[in-house]
Amino acid sequence: MAEAQTSLGILWRALPTLWRVAVAGIVAYRAEMVIWILSATLPLVMLALWDAAAAGGPLEGFGQVDFARYFAVTMVVRQLTGAWIIWELNYAVRSGSLSPQLLKPVNPLVYNLFETIAAIPWRLFVLVPVCAGFLAWRPEILFVPQMWRVALFMVSVVLAFAVAWLVQALFGALAFWFEQAMGIYSVHFALWSFFSGYIVPMALLPSWVAALARWLPFYASLGVPVDVLLGRAGPWEVGAQIGWVLLLTFGLQAAWTRGVRRYGAVGA
Amino acid sequence: MPIIEVSGLTKTYRVPVKGEGLGGSIRSLWSREYKDVEAVRDISFQIDSGERVGFLGPNGAGKTTTLKMLSGLLHPTSGRVTVAGFTPQDRVVAFLSSITLVMGQKQQLLWDLPPRESFALNRAMYGVDPVRYARTLDSLVTMLRIEAVLEKPVRNLSLGERMKCELVAALLHEPSVLFLDEPTIGLDVEMQVQVRKFIHDYNHDTGATVILTSHYMQDIAALTPRLLIIDRGSLRYDGKLTSLAERVAPERRIVVKGGPSELGELGFQRVEGDMVASLSPEGTNQLLSRVLARWPMVEVSVESPPLEEVMARYFREAT
Repeated sequence: MAEAQTSLGILWRALPTLWRVAVAGIVAYRAEMVIWILSATLPLVMLALWDAAAAGGPLEGFGQVDFARYFAVTMVVRQLTGAWIIWELNYAVRSGSLSPQLLKPVNPLVYNLFETIAAIPWRLFVLVPVCAGFLAWRPEILFVPQMWRVALFMVSVVLAFAVAWLVQALFGALAFWFEQAMGIYSVHFALWSFFSGYIVPMALLPSWVAALARWLPFYASLGVPVDVLLGRAGPWEVGAQIGWVLLLTFGLQAAWTRGVRRYGAVGA
Repeated sequence: MPIIEVSGLTKTYRVPVKGEGLGGSIRSLWSREYKDVEAVRDISFQIDSGERVGFLGPNGAGKTTTLKMLSGLLHPTSGRVTVAGFTPQDRVVAFLSSITLVMGQKQQLLWDLPPRESFALNRAMYGVDPVRYARTLDSLVTMLRIEAVLEKPVRNLSLGERMKCELVAALLHEPSVLFLDEPTIGLDVEMQVQVRKFIHDYNHDTGATVILTSHYMQDIAALTPRLLIIDRGSLRYDGKLTSLAERVAPERRIVVKGGPSELGELGFQRVEGDMVASLSPEGTNQLLSRVLARWPMVEVSVESPPLEEVMARYFREAT
């Protein structure tokens, strides 16, 4: 515990430099970053499909404007909650580059968290013009949500980011045990796409599937803030997000401690 | 006073055994067999503060495993290690701040950013006071002569420049114990000499303890008066480098540069144009006097066998 406190003390003082260097790193990779951000605009493709499907009339209460609104917000939330720690951690464990990181007073997970957060303004830099263009094309999607929903949405986005990052970190930690951690993650990604609301709004899933999916971490990492803003979810779902953040934090802590020990056991 | 104390240190790896071919791969899916490999076996030694010590041994002897246990990356299977009063594998911040590990084959610098950014990041992570940081950085940069590369992205640096920057990054927090694993690997001869001189001067100026592994005998000869030889996981020798050479290869060589063939009468043989005689240290002066009495104008040197030969003989005797 003494170790954790000292680490936090150092971290607090190190914050401005960590932030500055993380931003410098993001800028160094600007071309890759733009491609990555653009690749996360899949919701716009999904919108084109659902828009065509709803041309003949609303589906389960979703008309063309509802779909446009839904996938526009989904795209924004997806951009704000993107993480890439699984690739970094998987590479660091397999190549052994985790070793020098482990001998620094700041935990490599914490450093990655800062890097990820530092990328968010850069994502906004691309996101804002994309959203402006979208609004110019479909101005009818503009709406004024209730203030409490906007506030809850902001809390829910932060929680969704935490869930997304923690899940990826946990999958990344699998690299301590399995060579095919990325393969396992791709199975997760398939489930996530379906149950998070990324390609199908939760309201369009069969009711028994939606009843279950509503409480799973997939939805907590993307769909909850979208539905909170659009009036289809509320404090209960945000409560479930908090539950997942706590559970995943404990899970990651346990996996990390055991994984690092195992990393040492196999030769670091 | 010892800064490093190691007693009965053992490390056993559990490695999966996979049968050959496709059948072996498929079988290992559900019934995986393991075997224990003892990488380090019951090693004990102490190192005093300020010492420079070399770990030497063939590939797979257990040098790097020992170094990783001392730096806290590996958990020992059994035995006890303390470094600067800490148990390394606990990796408490005070311990991490008092050591550094430089691995010649792994890098900590941020690949796409100039080294200055990696240095700034380390300053922040180790909580080094900015004034002290500026002073230390300035002195390290001057010692290693890398002013010109501080603003270039690391990916554009030569191997030698990168290793020098790795050393700066590793030393900015002024550690009192340096673990250096093959710090000169892959460097050209001139760069090896510069890095060796730097490590020597750093130890001299700061009193830091240096523990070094290397495949290059010149590193060991130039840097570490004390030698620990590890072979197949066991500590085979712990003592002065000079004592080992005296024990294993005590003879001297008298080399007469381009000497006349008549020296053959005194037991000399021609080796690459020179006349060379090998004999015990006691007989050296007598033979030297006889040579100089007959050929007073020749260029003569007296040499000990090179360290490579000492080690080769040592390992031949050990097997």
